Amino acid sequence: MRWIATLVLSLLFAGTAQATSVEARLIRASNEIGKSDAALADIHAKLKEKFGYQFYQQLGAQRQPLKAGAKLRLDLGENFSLFVTPKSSGKRQQKLEFEWYSGKTLLLRSVVEIVENGHLLVKGPEVGNDWIVLAVSVRN
Amino acid sequence: MKQHNTERLSALADGELKGLSRWLAQRHVRHCPQCAAELQRVERVRQTLAACPPIIEMSDSADFFWSKVKRDITTREPQTVFIPVPRLSLADWLLVHRGALATATSGLMVALLTGVMLQQPHSAGPGTVLVERVDTVIPNTVATPLKGAESDVAVIWVSGLEWTADLDEMKQRFENSET
Repeated sequence: MRWIATLVLSLLFAGTAQATSVEARLIRASNEIGKSDAALADIHAKLKEKFGYQFYQQLGAQRQPLKAGAKLRLDLGENFSLFVTPKSSGKRQQKLEFEWYSGKTLLLRSVVEIVENGHLLVKGPEVGNDWIVLAVSVRN
Repeated sequence: MKQHNTERLSALADGELKGLSRWLAQRHVRHCPQCAAELQRVERVRQTLAACPPIIEMSDSADFFWSKVKRDITTREPQTVFIPVPRLSLADWLLVHRGALATATSGLMVALLTGVMLQQPHSAGPGTVLVERVDTVIPNTVATPLKGAESDVAVIWVSGLEWTADLDEMKQRFENSET
């Protein structure tokens, strides 16, 4: 009987202690027809509303589970990387420190309190007629 | 007058009944010994009272008497009059000042709530994304958090970054500038 109880408890804990993860996406905002991405369907409307471009292409993305106090590195492609350091966590929200790099250049440093399924959108460098956008969200 | 009505008898004795009501009352009294006796009693009482009218002796007329009272009131000096005030119990005091108490309690609660809200660290509410701090180290570049109507989306606008024609040029540009 003891092993059944242990199994049930471990299953319960596994269910409640789901790892919260941070997801970062590197996006190219453009008005060129065809440069649209199905991977961005969930935030397409928000991107369009905030930045006004017609099409959004995902250049790279990475997702990693958050660990208290541990600095994560998310490589987003095109030489962009995002460092994430959890500062504190609540029931449904995380306070995270972000450092967005392009190569060795620190583009932006920020502390954001972000709720589950909330989005942080950063308008970055301009390339030709397009913009580079960073989208960050926290998921459970 | 089918019933023995003392009021009607009294009115008959006073001569207040007229016409048919007077005739009916007199007819009833003629045939009802009880009412006849009552009427006789009432009439006797009236006669006795009429024989002994009350005598009120007053030396002054009413107007003269009142003028004297007024004069006495105006000439009398103001006097301190002690009016005993009943001692209020706590329950009475609370009842009397219930309006003021309700106002004071409401004010206290509002002040407490405001204090609690101000003491709490500024945190994002349910379903919100809050940019607490933002900066950039690149010269001539500004990072600005923008507030929108939506609370689940926060936008940071980095402006002043160098424009490049394509991604390769951008990579090369940022690769060479170390911050």
